Amino acid sequence: MPVKTPFLLEEATEMEVSPVLQWAAFGIFAFISIAGALGMATTMSMFRSGIFLMASFIGVAGLFILLLADLLALLQIMMYIGGMLVMILFMLLFSGDPGGGMMSTHMRLRGPEWFFSLGLARSPSGTDGNNANDSSDKEEDQRDQARDSHQEEGEKEESNDMSMFTPAKRGAAGLALGIGVLLIALLLWRPHWAVVAQMPDPDSPRRIGHLLMDKYMIAFEGAGLLILLGIFGAVLLQRPGKYPDSAHREELRAAVEDAPAPVKTDPLKPLGLDRDREK
Amino acid sequence: MIAIPLTAFLLVAAVLFAIGLYAVIAQRTAVMVLMGIELLLNATGLNLVAFWRFTAPQDYSGQIFVIIIVTIGAIEMAIGLAIMMLLYRRHQTVQVDKYKELKG
Repeated sequence: MPVKTPFLLEEATEMEVSPVLQWAAFGIFAFISIAGALGMATTMSMFRSGIFLMASFIGVAGLFILLLADLLALLQIMMYIGGMLVMILFMLLFSGDPGGGMMSTHMRLRGPEWFFSLGLARSPSGTDGNNANDSSDKEEDQRDQARDSHQEEGEKEESNDMSMFTPAKRGAAGLALGIGVLLIALLLWRPHWAVVAQMPDPDSPRRIGHLLMDKYMIAFEGAGLLILLGIFGAVLLQRPGKYPDSAHREELRAAVEDAPAPVKTDPLKPLGLDRDREK
Repeated sequence: MIAIPLTAFLLVAAVLFAIGLYAVIAQRTAVMVLMGIELLLNATGLNLVAFWRFTAPQDYSGQIFVIIIVTIGAIEMAIGLAIMMLLYRRHQTVQVDKYKELKG
């Protein structure tokens, strides 16, 4: 049931875009998405990683537009970039050092990042980061503070081993590279798909809405229910007063391997701890 | 008419998938692992949209899958955020290899 739409899109989709222009757009968007993803995976600063991820999402949204999935491009920008990335950046504020200053010495850095982190070299994991800060590395500490003066003392102490990658980084890179090469080889080995030379309907939001409310109604309602349950779960998880008392907490902290030094200020101290202490 | 072959889009998606996989495995912080998972979901969505456009452009079911994927990604991010905040309060760290128990 092709609906007549006095909409600009109808002419736009029937217009022939030159292949050169299409390839140029594809190249730009593919480059943005891949370069953004690479930057996300390799940068030492978590905040920069978030921004790189946003670039990658924008690139994929551009590819969606190129594929004439305009509603999905809009959804990509609004939900991923507008919603989830804000959530990611909020999460970054909880980690000790979103800006990437806390890099330990056993990490190999290159280029400008190595230069900027010269004064930020940390004692390797296992030794007391507190001592290294206070006594021996005075000037390092000063440079450190000059760079990220906004940081709290407590955060600096507890996260002296803040390298962003696992020790098995090489293995992970090899595995990911292997799987990527395998996927690409499989793609190039048999690139014969049943491709249809057809334009999609220009009125895609209407079609998608009809499908969601008709054929895929159970999936749609299920997703709604899932969102509701997810919100309930997130709120319930954040209920205060469900944490171990301080003694147990110290014990737990000691049990954790490479236990960080105790934090002086704990702005996130849940309410339940105070109540337990008063008793 | 689109001049770019389907394989080109699939190649981009495969590269994105590999990078996301690397991020998921190699990163130590929980946030970065979640970001890697988002990248994996994004690559999958790109694959689905490319297949929709090239093999069944009149049937919009392919896009429905992407919508469901985005929804699930949003929920996963919210729950991941909640769990990560809990773990941070509990263990004072966000590094996933420091978490030895999740029992509260």
